Amino acid sequence: MKFIVSTNDLLKQLDLVDGVVVSKPLIPILENFLFEIKGGNLKITTTDLETFMTTSLKVEADSDIDIAVPSKVSLETLKNLPTQPVTFSIDEASKSIEINTGNGRYKLTGNEAKDFPKFPELESENSIVLSSKVLLKAINKTIFATGTDELRINLTGVYCQITDTHINFVATDANRLVRVQRKGFKNGFETSFILPKKAMNLLKNALPNDESPVKIEFNSSYAFFSFTGVSLICRLIDERYPDYTAVIPTENPNKLSINRNDFISAMKRVSIYSNKTTNQVRLKIAGSEMTISAEDYDFANEATERLSCNYEGADIEIGFNARFLTEMLNAVDTEEVKMEFSMPNRAGLLLPSENESEEDILMLIMPMMINV
Amino acid sequence: MDAFFASVEQLDNPFLKGKPVAVGGGENRGVVAAASYEARKFGVRSAMSGKIAKQKCPHLIFVRPHFERYREVSGQVMDIFHEYTDLVQPMSLDEAYLDVTENKIGDIYAAKIAKSIKDKIFETTGLTASAGVSFNKFLAKIASDMNKPNGLKVILPKDAQALLDTLPIEKFHGIGEKTAERMRRHGIHNGYDIRLKELDFLEKHFGKAGSFYYHIVRCIDNREVKTEWVRKSLGAEETFDIDIIEPEDLIAQLSIIAKTVSNRLEKRELKGHTVTLKIKYHDFELKTRSKTFTNWINDAEELLAHAIELLYIPELPKKSVRLLGISISNLNNEEQTPPKLSLSVAFDLQLKLPFNDQFLLDSTQALPPNLRNLNQ
Repeated sequence: MKFIVSTNDLLKQLDLVDGVVVSKPLIPILENFLFEIKGGNLKITTTDLETFMTTSLKVEADSDIDIAVPSKVSLETLKNLPTQPVTFSIDEASKSIEINTGNGRYKLTGNEAKDFPKFPELESENSIVLSSKVLLKAINKTIFATGTDELRINLTGVYCQITDTHINFVATDANRLVRVQRKGFKNGFETSFILPKKAMNLLKNALPNDESPVKIEFNSSYAFFSFTGVSLICRLIDERYPDYTAVIPTENPNKLSINRNDFISAMKRVSIYSNKTTNQVRLKIAGSEMTISAEDYDFANEATERLSCNYEGADIEIGFNARFLTEMLNAVDTEEVKMEFSMPNRAGLLLPSENESEEDILMLIMPMMINV
Repeated sequence: MDAFFASVEQLDNPFLKGKPVAVGGGENRGVVAAASYEARKFGVRSAMSGKIAKQKCPHLIFVRPHFERYREVSGQVMDIFHEYTDLVQPMSLDEAYLDVTENKIGDIYAAKIAKSIKDKIFETTGLTASAGVSFNKFLAKIASDMNKPNGLKVILPKDAQALLDTLPIEKFHGIGEKTAERMRRHGIHNGYDIRLKELDFLEKHFGKAGSFYYHIVRCIDNREVKTEWVRKSLGAEETFDIDIIEPEDLIAQLSIIAKTVSNRLEKRELKGHTVTLKIKYHDFELKTRSKTFTNWINDAEELLAHAIELLYIPELPKKSVRLLGISISNLNNEEQTPPKLSLSVAFDLQLKLPFNDQFLLDSTQALPPNLRNLNQ
């Protein structure tokens, strides 16, 4: 059989699902794209057994076929071709695949489609619908704060907490925490689950930044996302998430408001001088001035910068990991950013100066000890 | 002092005189703190379990220790030392180094001074002591061990080298059973054998102690008699009536021990940076795990949390446990040199969000479900 497709169109879809494929998988068939052509529609599936992802596109096909196509070779080939129509000629019996361009002929061997794991049938218990833009934002604002410690597997994912009226997306690595809250739902049920980081990254790349609806269905083991021709199913992290609400400080008498870009720029410069092991910077806030300083005694390096700010509260000196703080400042969209503190050894709050309607973003960062 | 605790008991209770006596070790699992010379003849030694001691010496009399009384007698003895010199370095309740190079009675013969001190101790307390006299601390200690009890031994400079050369390594103060065994594997059996080895070799195989051995076998020991004794660590431990292995039981015991340590720290206005957990298994295998923190620790709860963490990391005891101990060192009574930032310390600088199950998050090993509510 033969089908014709534009390299560009095919590549776009393969890029979406290729992130699922792991190198050296448990079973070799997982290194393939599953191509299923039916009535001129090419459906592409990838899986690592934890995550399944499919997408589809229209092709000019002379008949139907199911075949597993080695992902690395086919993707590399398409990436290195200029945009043009290519012809795939597949011999069903020998599984030989030939890609023909104007000047070239590339031949590779496919695998039995029936050896490819089946996309799981999900018996969903509940579902919600979000706009793609909202979900994308929630992922972008939380994923960087997830933990990387494989021994604290519950913190490696994004916690999704659904209540009757709102949805919380939470991520923490125990050093900092982000909670993105979306309000204005009428869900009629309450549930929570931990979404693995890998699936979140895949969604981040695949979700369009527009209003198209994303349907999320879930049961106790899986979540199923479907939007604009793409489906993703992922196994949930089967762990208990810590009670994050208990660590959000409520009494924060010291309130700061500062220009976010100025703050980030100063942080970037000053943190060059911080100790490379600790990454520590100190913020000293008094009156309407914030002094950012860092030092590395090993090299006798030090830097100080002063910024004007609005501050209400007692003078405070507090230390932070520059990387953590900068990442969080970057995750805020507003021109001004608010910070709230109680004591130099308690979590500091980082908030946008204003939230979009139906949205509430809260970030927490634990300080580092200074004066030791 | 000779068989100090046991001698005091024999002094205070004439019935015990001339009989094999063990101080401590009478309870089910206790160990002998001290044995009288009569008991030692049967092979009873301090630190021996009461059970074994009884096997070795069936008519052994166990007595409860009276530490207040020992401290009182010790005070009398130390006072006597100070009549001769103020350069007194107490090593324990019943042992001290004295530097009598310059002394208060103006005698130039150290051996005469030693004899005078021994006599005075006997006069005042009714107890005998053994003295060793020589030109450095190491040799003085060796000498004091040579003629026990009620002994006095002088090692003169001209005899020192020959004595050290023939001294079996087990007799070297500071060389224990394990080190001796390792030395024997290298063909080292006495001081002379050590002297044949290069400094590099000794340092490579025995670390810092290697350099010490290298010098002492050449009669070089320049350690001064230090009058000020600075406590390096403080702790408490508990031997259990029955061996335990369940995490709940271990933690319950740690909780009691942590409180004791905390009370002791409070009493002495001490706090420290390093927490050490000591685990002795039923087969007497001894393990210690420790961790250093940047903050000062003296609170029972914090001590307990760290001890529990050490209990779980790297792994929970797989064998039943006979003894647990918690100690704290890097105390605030020494001049502090700021600890060099190691990676783990840098990691500790970053404070963590205080999740209720923080402990669960902090351990590198998940707790069993029955313990998950521990901190809640």
